[in-house]
Amino acid sequence: MLPAAQTIRVKVLFFGRLKDLVGLREDCIDFSTDATVEQLFGAYVHRIPELAKYRSSVVASRNQEFAAWNTPLHAGDEIAFLPPVSGG
Amino acid sequence: MTPSAHDDLYQLLRDPIDIAALVSHVRAPGDGAIVTFDGFVRDHSHGRRTLYLDYEAYESMALAKIHEIGATLHEKFPIHRAAIVHRLGRLQIGETSVFIAVSAPHRPAAFDACRYAIDTLKRTVPIWKKEYFEDGAVWADGELPPAPAATPAAKPAS
Repeated sequence: MLPAAQTIRVKVLFFGRLKDLVGLREDCIDFSTDATVEQLFGAYVHRIPELAKYRSSVVASRNQEFAAWNTPLHAGDEIAFLPPVSGG
Repeated sequence: MTPSAHDDLYQLLRDPIDIAALVSHVRAPGDGAIVTFDGFVRDHSHGRRTLYLDYEAYESMALAKIHEIGATLHEKFPIHRAAIVHRLGRLQIGETSVFIAVSAPHRPAAFDACRYAIDTLKRTVPIWKKEYFEDGAVWADGELPPAPAATPAAKPAS
């Protein structure tokens, strides 16, 4: 019998034009334990190929702090993908 | 309402911003100057007539980033108090979307801090506006916040 695959659950948030494109503001996804923020974005690109062209104009955050793309995911993380900000 | 150690005021609001209340909040007898910034909805964008704007925010992070800006103001400038308020939801032409008031004993610090606050807010606080025109709507062009570069040693904050 194979051991159960190690997965963690993370919450994912989309804003602005990304929310419109993905069609979701909030998602929960089970992901492999050794994955990064970049791979998480990649999973959504796989579902919605048009997302790929926004990759260079998106910043990620982990638990309300801006995060590098190679930041590892942890169980219970809140990851957000943020398009260029336009408050004010 | 989120009071801080300095009795500053940082808020995200869905109702109209009460400018007079914010100015009086930062005003104290030891001060000699208040500088304010009033950002309000323009009636045009890129040559098109704007009907209204709709603001959305990643609210928990936006409020945290506004707090960070406030803390930085006190580190960098000899000011007394700051109020930074941003409105969300649908805003009509002429309505205030962001208001900043900074008090200080002397005007240079108040001017510098107010300018720093609005410039930093526009670059780093996760808020977005959608512009509605007669023939459609677009997300406004924005600024990409500075994020940590990916490095092999990057570790998440604990």
